[in-house]
Amino acid sequence: MNIHGSVVSAREIVLSTEGVAAGYDGDDIISDISVAVEQGSIFTVIGPNGSGKSTFIKVLAGLLPARTGEIHLGAMSIARLSAPQRVAAGLAYVPQEFNVFANLTVGENLRVSTEFLERKRRASAEQRERVLAMFPEVAGRLGLRAGYLSGGQRQMLAFACAMMAAPTVLLLDEPSAGLSPKFVAEIFDKVKSVNALGVTVVMIEQNVKEALRIADIALVLVNGATRLLATPDDILTKHDLHKLYLG
Amino acid sequence: MTAQVVLNGLVTGMVVALPAVALTLIYGILKFPNFAIGAMLTVGAYLALALNVYLSLPVLYAAAIGAAVFSVVAVGIDQAVFRPLRERSAITLLVASMGVSFVLENIVRFIFGNGARSFELPLARPKLVFGLRINNEQVVTAVAVIAAMAVVYVVLCHTPLGRAMRAVSDNPALAAARGIDRERIVRWTWVIAGFLTAAAGVLAGMDRAIDPLIGWNYIVTVFAASILGGLGNPVGAVLGALTVGVVEETSTLLIPPNYRQVISFCAIALLLLLRPQGLLGAQRIKK
Repeated sequence: MNIHGSVVSAREIVLSTEGVAAGYDGDDIISDISVAVEQGSIFTVIGPNGSGKSTFIKVLAGLLPARTGEIHLGAMSIARLSAPQRVAAGLAYVPQEFNVFANLTVGENLRVSTEFLERKRRASAEQRERVLAMFPEVAGRLGLRAGYLSGGQRQMLAFACAMMAAPTVLLLDEPSAGLSPKFVAEIFDKVKSVNALGVTVVMIEQNVKEALRIADIALVLVNGATRLLATPDDILTKHDLHKLYLG
Repeated sequence: MTAQVVLNGLVTGMVVALPAVALTLIYGILKFPNFAIGAMLTVGAYLALALNVYLSLPVLYAAAIGAAVFSVVAVGIDQAVFRPLRERSAITLLVASMGVSFVLENIVRFIFGNGARSFELPLARPKLVFGLRINNEQVVTAVAVIAAMAVVYVVLCHTPLGRAMRAVSDNPALAAARGIDRERIVRWTWVIAGFLTAAAGVLAGMDRAIDPLIGWNYIVTVFAASILGGLGNPVGAVLGALTVGVVEETSTLLIPPNYRQVISFCAIALLLLLRPQGLLGAQRIKK
């Protein structure tokens, strides 16, 4: 399981970064981030506010260009691809907020999620059926405008839209943000069940306890740099998160 | 008498509905109030006039060809004027659209002169239906506008282009992440807006004399209609246009007809005071 540790993994690497740095206007927000995400795992990124978690996932999704470094999806270099090209390549992204079209119906949201990708990447009828079976709370409300959904249902819809593209890797930006405790458990269960189908998950989270419960490996990001890369067990038993966060 | 006034108001409202929908579509995609909508209507009327008078095409064909030509012109105006200002504020774009308005109006003056013109239409006596006088132009207007609105509705709700337009209007960042090419959607929006506005110019020109200020007669009413319906909401714009048309026309029973635009101004003022989101504004979800 452990990438940096002594145990050498036999599992394939599906997503990796090498020395990635990025930022908005001035200095780099994140620098020299190198990770390797294994096929079928749940990889979570945790860290204090302002540590660069969101910047990192935006770089992965293609919404912010990496200033230096490389990003690979499987064997393919994706650092120069646009966000839609990365979706087409198999890397789907669920933004933290404004992640559905509020004035389109639930059904239209699902449709639009792949309708404008390259022809061969559009969701088949079978894929749509699979997604609807996976998200019954979405399937029952196809005619409803997405803006009328509750926060939790909206998050589920955003999640379902990402799954329409049949991704190999799913990027989630704080899926539990702003949700009631009941929905937090539900959304993490959903992440787990999507992962059980073989989809690799890379997830940013504020809710460290829940995130570590389902993750296989966690990256602790502090001040835009890698502080620790370890399994949840190691983090909880051998380290003190408070000390890590304070640097 | 009242029924006749309401009928006339509905037909006036239908003419207003076309540019009101155009205004609201542009607002939805580009987020600025296009002040040039009046001048666009004027140019539409003159394009059809040129085809009608100089090439002796029947008004119907002249209108269709003129509107098609103008939809291309509208895309050209966008590329030349608005595209370089794409990321600027709504106020900058509003001022630019005022500039476009003056340029278009003066091109028209330069080519066609300042005098009033009219289409070569066969004269026809109004028909009497249940005691209501209905003239030929009113029938043409009703048929043309209902057909145009039906097409716009189908495009918006049941085609990939329409879904993409609504997606861009709703959440441009997410739409881009979904692979929707915003510039392509912007061009198509101008095509639709240009066609609708130019067609409205022809309908307006059938109702009254065509002069370089014909669009100015409609601009307040068009803005009132779009704001009434909640800017960015096409269905609201149509309902707003019909409402404003009927209210303006009915007001002529009480006040002199040249003051009818006052009614539109009052409607805007009252609405902004009482219901700033527009009549249907609540139905559009901001977040």
